[in-house]
Amino acid sequence: MIFQTPIMALLLVAGLASLTALWSGGFAVQVLRRWNLADMSRAQLQRERATELVSTLFAAVMLAELAALLLFVFNADRMASLFVGAMCAVGTLNVNGYGFPALYLKIGVFFAAVLWLMLDRADRMGRDYPLTRVKYGVLLAIVPLVLADAGTELAYFLNMHTDVITSCCSKLFTPANAGLANEMASIGPGASLWLLGGAGVFVAATGGFALWRGRGFGLYALASVLMFALALTAVVSVISPYIYEYPNHHCPFCILKPEYNYYGYALYIPLFLGTGLGVGAGMLSLFRSRESLAEKLPAMIRRQVIWSMAGFAGFGLATLYAIASSNLIIFG
Amino acid sequence: MTPWLRRQRALADYTLASLARRKGKNIALVAVYAIVVFVLASAMFFAASLRLETSAVLRDAPEVTVQKITMGRQDLIDGAVADEIGKIRGVTSAKPRLWGYYYDRIVGANYTVMVPDDPEMIPEPGSVIVGEGIPRARGFKWSGAPLFLSRYEGDLKRFNVARAFESDSALMTSDLMLMNETDFRDFFEIPAGLYTDVVATVRNPNEVATIVEKGSNALPQMRFVTRSDIERTYQKLFDWREGLLAALAAAGILAFVIFAAEKASGLSAEEMREIGILKAVGWDTRDVIAMKLWEGGLVSLGAFLLGTVTAFAHVFFFGAPLFAPILKGWAVIYPDFALAPHVDGLELLTLALLTIVPYIAATLVPIWRVASGDPDAVMR
Amino acid sequence: MITLTSVTKLYNEGRPNEVQALKGIDLEIARDAITVLKGPSGSGKTTLLSIVACMARPTTGRVTLDGEVVSGLPERFLTELRRTTFGFVFQRFNLIRGLSVIENVMLPAAPLGGDHATVRERALERLAALDLADKATMPVEFLSGGETQRAAIARALINDAPIVIADEPTANLDTELTMRFLEIVRALRAEGKTVIMTSHDPRIWDAEGVDAVVEMRDGAIFGEFA
Repeated sequence: MIFQTPIMALLLVAGLASLTALWSGGFAVQVLRRWNLADMSRAQLQRERATELVSTLFAAVMLAELAALLLFVFNADRMASLFVGAMCAVGTLNVNGYGFPALYLKIGVFFAAVLWLMLDRADRMGRDYPLTRVKYGVLLAIVPLVLADAGTELAYFLNMHTDVITSCCSKLFTPANAGLANEMASIGPGASLWLLGGAGVFVAATGGFALWRGRGFGLYALASVLMFALALTAVVSVISPYIYEYPNHHCPFCILKPEYNYYGYALYIPLFLGTGLGVGAGMLSLFRSRESLAEKLPAMIRRQVIWSMAGFAGFGLATLYAIASSNLIIFG
Repeated sequence: MTPWLRRQRALADYTLASLARRKGKNIALVAVYAIVVFVLASAMFFAASLRLETSAVLRDAPEVTVQKITMGRQDLIDGAVADEIGKIRGVTSAKPRLWGYYYDRIVGANYTVMVPDDPEMIPEPGSVIVGEGIPRARGFKWSGAPLFLSRYEGDLKRFNVARAFESDSALMTSDLMLMNETDFRDFFEIPAGLYTDVVATVRNPNEVATIVEKGSNALPQMRFVTRSDIERTYQKLFDWREGLLAALAAAGILAFVIFAAEKASGLSAEEMREIGILKAVGWDTRDVIAMKLWEGGLVSLGAFLLGTVTAFAHVFFFGAPLFAPILKGWAVIYPDFALAPHVDGLELLTLALLTIVPYIAATLVPIWRVASGDPDAVMR
Repeated sequence: MITLTSVTKLYNEGRPNEVQALKGIDLEIARDAITVLKGPSGSGKTTLLSIVACMARPTTGRVTLDGEVVSGLPERFLTELRRTTFGFVFQRFNLIRGLSVIENVMLPAAPLGGDHATVRERALERLAALDLADKATMPVEFLSGGETQRAAIARALINDAPIVIADEPTANLDTELTMRFLEIVRALRAEGKTVIMTSHDPRIWDAEGVDAVVEMRDGAIFGEFA
């Protein structure tokens, strides 16, 4: 199955990302051992200049991984017609054991790159590059993630056999089967919406408090993660059925299809944005008290919280619109 | 506008002026780049519209086809099988079909000969209805010319051509020839009561698997082929050929990447001096990188648009003359039809990743190297 | 006040062709003054100028600008500081060929992200003050020597930097143009700018208005005159 154009594109991105990660990892080791701003030698200057390359490379990797994430899901959806039993992306991802791990790793790499770029941005605000060591320590942790993503993806595509009978969303996301996906689907729509609403209130409260008092950003980050998890649960258990106007169709991937006006993007993009920025704000608040960052960093964290809340609000509006405009009636 | 946007605008302004000053060199780069995009885009658009065409054709095909297998090969099937299959719950109808291939020794082409199901399409005895490929292959100058078919040396059978198909969705019908049942049995010497295969339609597509299972149990010597099996086979075939072309294009991409990397690292003395001046007057390494990325972005965008648009025209307006022989199939009669223009996000995203990502990857390191020169270099 | 303490600068560190361009410089350069660094070529005055102007970091030693230590700053912050604090006029003027005068003048403002129209207006004002208003849209390669230098001065002033740096400004100019240049420098001084120049031209260090002359030889300070 390697000879498929989108697969070649995905493997290309994964391969280049791995190369970048490996090289950056090597450089990170050098930084951790030798970085010394007091040293005015040429070698230190070269290291400073090399950090510009690493930042640029990581920004490029993040953009490419974002595109690859979209392509990965798109392609899984299109390839569904090649597998017996597959109706959408879920079936293709289920063809072998590597499909869903590859997707999760891709999402993980994307979030990791986003968070790293936030650290990078904060680091550049201080005249003594206060976070450089932290930043390159974190980078070393990201390297295996990128490599695992590439490896899993390769294993996934190499082990795709069209004679395998796979199970699709209609089987996976039904309350009748055991497993996380089914548990998500079997949560009652009412309970799920209440939980989502509760998470929304929690996000608004912690965000409002953090903006007002200038602290509690860690709690906000926690609220963001909770919101992310409950939002995905709500998508499976209640929002999708509204979009499909069919109470037993719970698939979180089919909503990305043109048949449903790509409605899924209106849900996922603000949700991912809100989560990434929210978690990032919590991460950055750890360094708020660094002397050289004290002036600019709090403003950046505040902005991130505001945008994060805006992202969650966007998700909320998209959810309400999906429910309001649907012909399906679950309650009442 | 925020300062960030204004900075980007100022950098982009500079980039545009700089590109315009080195027109010849940049046009050459964009041209080579666009050719790479063009080749890949043509292959992808063509394969995608073939896939689309196939699904369109198969949409009206029956869900299940039943074949009799003798000694591992397909054999003629008893018409009574159709009745048995018709009795399975969920089957709307089951009909035996008569069809086969005829090798035309005169022009060296293969035709598909069929007895149509639709009464409107059944020709009079002694006449045939043909796909547009057949008169074309035979070089018929006027309509109404009789068609002579020879099954073996010294044999000649005359048919009148009742009419020819329009070449609308012609991929699978351009080599088609329709006969009535009597003529067909006579022409191919098939005894009454035997058929090529049996086709069944099913009310609920979700039940196909169950019906196939029941049928296989009741008629173990029969082979059941579903519509999605056929579709899958075609998809795989076209995917595989597209992938093969793309893999070949990879060689071209690699050559282009080397060319681009070479060009990005081997700047002229004039360009090096310019970047030295920029750094001396207060541009940071980041600013120079951003400016150079604008340059790469504009070049990529230009080449991508140019390559995609010409590929679109090549495939959908001119019928992909450069790739059609590889992608369409191995039948002698190539269908003569216009592909339905169709491009989707998946294709464009794939294309962008396959062409722009290697270019950026190849130029990033040279860009950084150029950008990280000493600011005081121009003073020495 | 710009203060240098025990500043040394090595080029090609650790390689066989290592050169010590500056050997332990201690120097104070006053703000609100015209200072000239003089000395033969190879005496290290251009290297000193580039360190004073935050263009390069010293190999050892300390540089402070108005009390703030700048010698240990990462290059990026050094650049940020430099483009708002210093304006540069280079020996060979270093205008970019193919761009118009005004585009050249606006170049140092690009990374700052200022409003395009405002920056353009400021550039035109500067050009008008230097009698170049009618040449604003002309490509720089069509300018005469004196006009080229004035365009370079306009570029040095675009970000309203308080300190103007000039490296051998009169090396390629005849006496009349040199006098014209000195007039411009005195006018800048009158505006409140600090001017620091290198030169081995007696017409410059003997000129009226020069507050301090620092003489250099072989990477060390040979004498200071007020």
